[in-house]
Amino acid sequence: MRQPARVWSLLLHLVLLGWLLLACLPIVWAAVISLRQYVDAFSVPVKWLAPVTFENYSRLWIDKGFYRNFLNTVIVTVGTVSVSLTVGCLAGYALSRYRGAVGFWLLLTALVFRSLPHSTLLPSFYVMFDALGIRNEFFTLILVLVAINQPFTIWMLRSFFVNIPQELDEAALVDGCSRFQAFRRVIIPVMWPGVVTTGLFSFLLAYNDFLLSSSLVNAERMTMPAAIANAISADSEAFLMQGVAGAVSITIPLIILVVLFQRQIVSGLTQGAVKG
Amino acid sequence: MMLLLALPLAVTFYLSVRSCALQMEVVTVTESSPFGTKEVVTQRAVLGPDGRALSVCRFVGLEYFRKVLGLDAAAVQAGSSAPPDAGGAAEAVEPERATEFMGALRFTLLYTFATTPFVLLLGFALALGVNQVGQRWRPMYISASLLPFIITPVVGALAIKWLFRDNGLVPYFLSQFGISLFWMAQAWSARLLIILYGIWHVVPFAFIVFYAGLQSVPQDSLEAARIDGANSWQRLWYVTLPHLAPLFVFVTLIHLMDAYRVFEPVMVLTQGAFTTSVQYLTYYILMQENNPYKASAAAVLTTAGIAVLLVPLLVRTWKEQRRGG
Repeated sequence: MRQPARVWSLLLHLVLLGWLLLACLPIVWAAVISLRQYVDAFSVPVKWLAPVTFENYSRLWIDKGFYRNFLNTVIVTVGTVSVSLTVGCLAGYALSRYRGAVGFWLLLTALVFRSLPHSTLLPSFYVMFDALGIRNEFFTLILVLVAINQPFTIWMLRSFFVNIPQELDEAALVDGCSRFQAFRRVIIPVMWPGVVTTGLFSFLLAYNDFLLSSSLVNAERMTMPAAIANAISADSEAFLMQGVAGAVSITIPLIILVVLFQRQIVSGLTQGAVKG
Repeated sequence: MMLLLALPLAVTFYLSVRSCALQMEVVTVTESSPFGTKEVVTQRAVLGPDGRALSVCRFVGLEYFRKVLGLDAAAVQAGSSAPPDAGGAAEAVEPERATEFMGALRFTLLYTFATTPFVLLLGFALALGVNQVGQRWRPMYISASLLPFIITPVVGALAIKWLFRDNGLVPYFLSQFGISLFWMAQAWSARLLIILYGIWHVVPFAFIVFYAGLQSVPQDSLEAARIDGANSWQRLWYVTLPHLAPLFVFVTLIHLMDAYRVFEPVMVLTQGAFTTSVQYLTYYILMQENNPYKASAAAVLTTAGIAVLLVPLLVRTWKEQRRGG
C-alpha cells in the first residue's frame, strides 16, 4: 500500500513541475537571453551558457531613455489606482447598502460596460479628445483608464462590502457617527484587505494596458508596455535585444507583486465578479 | 462613470454613420521666377477664419458598415452604381480585405471556442493535482502559476514569440525531431500560436478559481461517499463535480467575454498578417488607416457581437440579484 502511494505522489509532482516549467519558460528564457548578445541569444544550436552582458539593459534604460517610460507608468498607475479606489469605495459602499431598483440597474450597466471590448470606445475617445484638445495628456489617459476600470472596481468592492454586516454601520450610527464618519472610521478599516486587493487588480489593469496607452498618448508620454511595442516588428538585432530587456524590466515588478501579494490576488480572483 | 463610458459609446454610434474630410479647393498658383512665369493648378485645404482647416462632415448612413462587412465590394466593381463621392475623401477599396470584419469575427470565435475546453480541463486538472500535494508545496505552485496570468499581455505574447522565433528555443527542439517549421510564416501555425498563448494565459485563472472551489467541497459528503463504498473516481464525479458546476459556468462566461477581446497576441504574433480579431480590426483601422469613422463602424459591429455573447451572463446575474445574492 505504501509503495504505490509514493510513486503516485512522485508522478504528481513531476506533472506539476512540468506545468511549472511551461508556465515560466517564456519569461525565464526571455530573462536569460536578455543578458546576451544577439548572436548568443538566437543561435543554432541553442547555447545554454553564454557570456553575460548588461549591454541591452544599459542601452535601453540610459541611451533610449526607458526610465522616462518607467516614470510615465508610475504616474499613470498611481493616478489610476488612487482615483478609481476613491470613487469605487464610495460607489461600492453605497451600492452594497442601498436596496432599490436603481442600484440593481447601475450594477447591471456596470457589468455590461465591463465586458465591452475597449476598442469600441477608442474611436470616440480619439475624436472627442482631439476636438477638446486634451489628447496626449496624462490626465486624459488616467481618466480613461479609471473609467474603464471603474465597473470592475465597483463590482469587486461591492462584493467585499456586502460581506460586512450592516449592524456595524448601525452600531456606529447609534454611537453618534454621521454616515460619512461611519464609513471613514469604521467600515474602511474593516475593509482594508478588500481595498488592497481591489487596488492590486486596478493596478494590474492600468499597468498592463496596451491598447489605450499606446493610442491616446504620444511617444514621450507612453507607458512601458506601449513603448515596448516597437520591438514587435523589430528587425534590427540590437533593437530586438533591447525589446527583450524591456520586456523583462516590465515583468520584474509584477513578479515582486506576485510574491508579496499572492494571498490577496488569489482572494481577489475568487471573489466572484473578477478578472478584467 | 456613465458620462465617461456611455457617452463615448454613443459618440461611437454617432461617428459610425458619418464621415468627415478636409474641405479642399482647387487653386491656381502662379509662380514667378527669373525663368518665367508658370501656373500650377493644385489643391489645398480651405482654412476657416480661425486658421484651422475646415472639414466637411456629412451623414453617410451605413456606408462604412457595408465597407467593413465587405458588402460594398459588388457595388464598387459595378462601378457607376456607387454614388459619387461629394466630400472628396479618397477611399480606395482593397478587394482582398473586403470582408475584414467577418474574417476577424470568424477568428475571434475560433479562438474563443478552441481555448475554452482546454482552459477548463487543464485548469481543473491542475487544481486537482495541487490539491493532492502536501501543504508546503502549494504556495510555490500557486505563485508560479499566477505568472502567465498576471503578466502584461504584450510582454507575454512577445516572450512566446521569441521562444518560437527562427533560431529560437522551440524550433530548435523540433528540429531535433526532424520538424522544421517557421511558425510566424504560415496562417495555420500563427493561429495555433495565438491559441496556445490564449491557453497559457488563462489556465491559471481557471486553476485558481477551481482550486478555491475545491477547498470548499464539503468534507462530510466526501466521507459519506467513501463509507458508502465510492471509489475516488465516483467521489470526483458525484460529489466534487456537482459542487463545482457553478464555477465551471462562471469561468466559461468570463472567458467567453475575455476571449472576445483578444488583441495583444494577434498584434504581436502576426501583426494582422494572417488573422485579425475584432478588437485588432478597430485598432488597425483607427491607427493605420487613420479613419475614426470606419473604425467606429467596426466598433459598433463589435458591440453587437458582445451583446449576443452577453445575454447568458446578464440572465444569470439577473437571477442572482433577484434571489438577493
